[in-house]
Amino acid sequence: MTVSERGDRSESERGEPLVAIDGLRKEFGGLVAVDDATFSVERGSITGLIGPNGAGKSTLFDLVSGFHTPDAGRVELSGRDVTGFAPHEVAHEGLVRTFQTPRRLEGMTVRENMLIGPSGQTGESVLSLLTSPGTVEEEERANLRRAEEMLERFEIAHLARQPATDLSGGQLKLLELARAMMADPDVLLLDEPVAGVNPVLDAKLASYIRDLNDSGITFLIIEHDMEFIMGLADPIVVLDRGTVLVEGTPETVRGDDRVIEAYLGGGGG
Amino acid sequence: MSVLDAVRGHVDSYTAGERFAAILVGGFVAAVGLALVSGQLSGGYLLFLLGLAGMYVLLSLGLNVQWGYAGLVNFSVVAFWGIGAYSAALVTAPSAPIPLELHPVVGLLVAIVASATVALLIAVPTLRLRGDYLAIATLGFAEVIRLLMLNERWLTAGGLGIAGIPPILRGISEAIPQVRLNLGVARIELTHGLTNSLLEFLAVATLVLVVFLGLRRIQRSPWGRVLRTIRADEDLARALGKDTFRFKLQAFVLGSVIMAIAGVFYVHFNRYLDPSDLMAIETFYVWIAVILGGSGSNRGAILGGLSVIAILEGTRLVNALPLLAGVDIAPLRLFLIGLLVILVIRYKPEGLLPPQHEHIWPEATQEADR
Repeated sequence: MTVSERGDRSESERGEPLVAIDGLRKEFGGLVAVDDATFSVERGSITGLIGPNGAGKSTLFDLVSGFHTPDAGRVELSGRDVTGFAPHEVAHEGLVRTFQTPRRLEGMTVRENMLIGPSGQTGESVLSLLTSPGTVEEEERANLRRAEEMLERFEIAHLARQPATDLSGGQLKLLELARAMMADPDVLLLDEPVAGVNPVLDAKLASYIRDLNDSGITFLIIEHDMEFIMGLADPIVVLDRGTVLVEGTPETVRGDDRVIEAYLGGGGG
Repeated sequence: MSVLDAVRGHVDSYTAGERFAAILVGGFVAAVGLALVSGQLSGGYLLFLLGLAGMYVLLSLGLNVQWGYAGLVNFSVVAFWGIGAYSAALVTAPSAPIPLELHPVVGLLVAIVASATVALLIAVPTLRLRGDYLAIATLGFAEVIRLLMLNERWLTAGGLGIAGIPPILRGISEAIPQVRLNLGVARIELTHGLTNSLLEFLAVATLVLVVFLGLRRIQRSPWGRVLRTIRADEDLARALGKDTFRFKLQAFVLGSVIMAIAGVFYVHFNRYLDPSDLMAIETFYVWIAVILGGSGSNRGAILGGLSVIAILEGTRLVNALPLLAGVDIAPLRLFLIGLLVILVIRYKPEGLLPPQHEHIWPEATQEADR
């Protein structure tokens, strides 16, 4: 699917829920991490997910992306029930996530990293490697070309053959985003994309995310950097003690007493 | 002159690790050649050592698929080797408690099926769990196999062992006439025994080459790339849509089958097998070989396997030196191996020949590279 097709579709279908989270609950040995969380991510939106430390944001990501199985509730992707799916199955349904701590793949170059992204490669089967080397070669060529284009888009094409371990923290964040894009997602879940990134790159990342959004990718982003997330996302969902506290535009959220209370006073509870 | 330049150019393109490995191999070959010419080492014994080395190289290549490619901790190397060895011995030897006396090819097929089945049985329940569980399960399993072979006498002959296992190329060596060559300096006598050793060496060399080329082919591919990702960060691979369980299972089974093939070769080569061959130390020799050579590197696995056998067998020659005549070899051997491991981990933790190639289908990069 090309980017423009995706864009058209998202224009026509904007507004319907792409990710629907309904009554999700997860307990870890008596501690309720996520408690009856319900909200949805509209197709074509950049939805922000904020909340004080320990509010259950990352656990919620794990539940939606299949890394944890919820104790109760449902997750739907474009109307399809994906509750209890394994992570790779969720990814095949079009939802790709990133992680809070950047994953530095030891012993792999940047372009190797990029080539992990595409799903269902013929060459991922040992049998096909032996029976249809021609198809493998063609796919590899196509994926290499796409990887280069994607790296150019994120302005790190000059690093293609560098070991991923040599990248700076900021470059790694860009690589993560580019690599996730290689998987051809409908929706990207980003866990703190600007944590530990310098302010110049902050602005760049925001503009990359906006660009991708314009071309049809939906985003759900966890971020502690308020300035960054308030300027980028709309709507914002505020999570506190595992439950959705407030949901609305950045202005509504910013002015809401309950949110201020949760951040300033609620932490101890 | 131009030949010399070409050689120099070639050598210049070597990495430091490759140079070191080349010096190591060159020195070793020179030492063996010297021993051979001076009569310290007989041709037959050298071929035996090379056969043994081939077996260790196969084991290292197998473990490299599991640990080097996918990061799977398998402490049952010797058990999978044993499954292959016992499958071949029981199916082919006339002295087996249930004598079947089938062709060695049947033994090889039985070994492959048996090792793949057992690998699946261990891997399916443990691979879904955290990495540590596979390590624990395989550690116990190796001992289970050894005790089974020791105690199920009706099937395995227990501690008595199985003797008279036929050679792998039965009948062929007898068909080749005996040759005597007198070259003045060296007298070459090609007896049936020597012809057979030579053929066995060629068999193991072919086996190593085929396995090496096959593994190199499938490592530099999307498949190898996913395994490399799993080794570095399994969660990332899952988030990007890879069914990591399936990949780990494939790597585990493939590696185990290669180990079993090494066992098949060994029994036809050594002609005798008993449960004392299944001691856990053998597993760790193979681990040392893979770590020494460079985890993830097929060439490294070969170099590591050769190094370990050179130390294990080379220390036998120590008593030939007058200065060290009274030294007990066994502890010295372990000491040397221990020292080597410490040195490598301290100064070259990635091994002597770490992996160098990107996990990308080589044909696909040719155009982009030039």
